[in-house]
Amino acid sequence: MPGTFEYFVWGLCTLLEAGVVVCAAKKGVLRKYLLLNIYMASSVIVTVLRFRILTSYGFHSVEYIYVYYYSDAVLTIFLYFALASLYAFVLSEIGAERFVRFATLLLLAATALVSYSIVQQYQTRLISRFVVELSQNLYFVGLVLTYVLWGAILKLRETRARLIQIVLSLGVYFSLFAADYALRNLYPSRSSIFISLQQVIGCFLPLAWAYAFWKLPEEARMSPSNLVAVPR
Amino acid sequence: MSRRLTVVLLGMLILVGAMGLKTVVVTHGDGSVIMANGGAPGPPTPWK
Repeated sequence: MPGTFEYFVWGLCTLLEAGVVVCAAKKGVLRKYLLLNIYMASSVIVTVLRFRILTSYGFHSVEYIYVYYYSDAVLTIFLYFALASLYAFVLSEIGAERFVRFATLLLLAATALVSYSIVQQYQTRLISRFVVELSQNLYFVGLVLTYVLWGAILKLRETRARLIQIVLSLGVYFSLFAADYALRNLYPSRSSIFISLQQVIGCFLPLAWAYAFWKLPEEARMSPSNLVAVPR
Repeated sequence: MSRRLTVVLLGMLILVGAMGLKTVVVTHGDGSVIMANGGAPGPPTPWK
């Protein structure tokens, strides 16, 4: 059962998610980064739904478990499309938006197919297992895609500071979850600490994106090669 | 046509890489699900 700390972090995270949409609207880039903002807005809506189910039925109830994992799958798909929109931004200069759309749908369909092939051996709760598997597989696809996108940014010498900040924060966000998962399995006796830490990590992405929308102007430029250059 | 095939190849490579990474991570895991969505407290996974 979540305690005061868990509720506090959850509330803070939701405020930051709403803050991303507000910052984007204030700076007039809500439409430009529409899919990113749809993801953040849907996170807020899902939080309200989850909180309502949690307070009505309890943490260990079947209702909360269903709502948590099904809504998580929907959010993961939204995050996947948000990531695809970042690809479209970066590859727009070489006129590859059409191929990005094609690759996005192809990869989503292939991931769904792989997820189904993994869970089809089970006789019961096939849809629920599929939803959890798809969510997890899309997380790993998103992780790899983010690093490939960072490679593309370096290769194409992308200079838009806001875009670089958004992509890098997404890479750090995915990596922090992976690190937390690894540490939880390395030190199972301290798993409760890492489970709490997972919630704190959840606040990183909205914080970084809110910063990117609020502080970095659209015309700001930077050289990404400076970020990876090793001083001699 | 060859551009589309290149996109398909890249997509499949990314999928293979992601599933390979997942296998490495989850094989040594405790059976819990690794997810990346917000700060909601995660319930146990009864379907894994």
